[in-house]
Amino acid sequence: MEPLIGMGVLALMGAAATIAGASEDLESDVGSQSNPNSQVQLAPQMMYPHRIYNKAISGEPPSNALMCAIGGTTASVLMTAYSMSPLFAIAMGALFAAIVHGSYSISAFLGRPASQKRFKQPVYLDILRSHTPVIMGYSYITTFCILVVSYLMVAVLGHPFPLPLLAFIWGITVGAIGSSTGDVHYGAEREFQNVEFGAGLNAANSGNIVRRAESGLRNGIDNSWFCAKFGGPVTGIAFGMTVFLSGWVTTVFNPAISPIMGWLSVVAGVILVLIMIIWNRKIEVAARAAFGPYKEDEVAA
Amino acid sequence: MSAGGEPKAIGGAIVPNKIIAFGILGGLIGIYAAHFLDSMISPVFSFMGALGAICAIVWGADAVRRVCSYGLGTGVPSIGMLALGMGVVASMFGLAVGGIYGPILAFVSAAIIGLIIGVLANKVLGMNIPIMEQSMVEIAGAGALTIVGLSTTMAGTFMFDEVLTYVVAPGYIAVIFIAGGMAILHPFNACLGPDEHQDRTLTLAFEKGGIAMVIAGLVSAVAGSAAMLPTIMIGVFIWYTSFAKFYELTKRDSYKILGSGLLPTEEELQ
Repeated sequence: MEPLIGMGVLALMGAAATIAGASEDLESDVGSQSNPNSQVQLAPQMMYPHRIYNKAISGEPPSNALMCAIGGTTASVLMTAYSMSPLFAIAMGALFAAIVHGSYSISAFLGRPASQKRFKQPVYLDILRSHTPVIMGYSYITTFCILVVSYLMVAVLGHPFPLPLLAFIWGITVGAIGSSTGDVHYGAEREFQNVEFGAGLNAANSGNIVRRAESGLRNGIDNSWFCAKFGGPVTGIAFGMTVFLSGWVTTVFNPAISPIMGWLSVVAGVILVLIMIIWNRKIEVAARAAFGPYKEDEVAA
Repeated sequence: MSAGGEPKAIGGAIVPNKIIAFGILGGLIGIYAAHFLDSMISPVFSFMGALGAICAIVWGADAVRRVCSYGLGTGVPSIGMLALGMGVVASMFGLAVGGIYGPILAFVSAAIIGLIIGVLANKVLGMNIPIMEQSMVEIAGAGALTIVGLSTTMAGTFMFDEVLTYVVAPGYIAVIFIAGGMAILHPFNACLGPDEHQDRTLTLAFEKGGIAMVIAGLVSAVAGSAAMLPTIMIGVFIWYTSFAKFYELTKRDSYKILGSGLLPTEEELQ
């Protein structure tokens, strides 16, 4: 394959992965999945009932792996057994995955409050009706983009893994990156906008999430509106960079050409990781300088 | 006190032994029925494998429910993944060397792996959960039967060569792993809380098993399209009836189901 075509495919994969990362994070924010969910779950116990969607499917990596694996499987079956065009098969796969994801979301939304009867958290059906389609929409976009990435890897870059397995692995990856990158913006900032910026989560504040919005009561869609400004895009960039850079080293230094090239790709990967570490450290130091020193007792801790 | 919190006896209308018998017998009968009826009468009958897998999923969900009631809040998804991780190893081993006794061998080897993991968790890691060993054996066995059951539906048989061709090589084993694992871990994770009820959790296990069955039916089109439609239709039927039942039980168990409304008042919360 021409190196230029390889780079073009890689750019397309990076773009698709960026969209997938952003939509994955916003999808988890609408439903409060993963880490921030523990506070949403805890709130009624601490006498703070709320109108926020409680999507306790599982952690983000397994639930994204599920929808991507289902999408990849459906697309693969449609392509092998019915010879459908890849684009149509991927669209159908993503649709089926979104429906299954919607079913999982609904059962988590209904199950958790019902198991907390004694804390008097009502089940609001309007939240279910308004949020579930949004969750399914985002999960459709995520699955579609992950399947595009996986399909390009199989069909153009000649990756030896089959489509469902690659989709499964990328699903876990996008879930893990969304959980580690984007959730901080929702869990530490949005849920606790009533405490000082950068204060961290004091044990006394556990469950005391912000439940009232600019107008009316806050819900999951308000949260995704906030997270779409920073948390979602930053997750997208993180995931896009992961896909792009991890492919870039083997496209530029293709191990298929010679073993020396293979080792050069390893060296390039190590250099990239070192650059990232130094860059992240610089950002952290700059943020501390810009937003003031941490408080005395927190420095001691 | 154990590391996982105070031991808590968890109640339930159905005693564990009945569900264990349901899972093992239902699972193995479904798998063998699918294999023999498929070759003797018609390939349509390979849907029986997925029915066996649903029995195993319900058993697995109940085992997860019992072990996770010892305060394994965020450990619920991990336990589900562990179940299928042990199950994949055991089922591939069992089917590869067992021939016609493959599913039984897979189940036995899963139980042995589960026992070792359970002993390691309790004795080496010091988790000190009294039912840990038994639960690990149970979820490993349930995971193995789920994988073998769904594979049998997809390939039409549990013979290793066909399973390798139609399930493992095209990567469909990934969807079995995650759809089976989620069906085992999600019911208790979704219904976690002090007012959890066994019937509601297990109804949810049936629902998620129905979804896994629909997926297995879809994949069975690759090996031959005869079983696809019946498997998908039975899967959708199980999904729909158990979802309706789950919603009914949610209405029974929840504090209030409101179309819309404000938050409960301070007085109401007292």
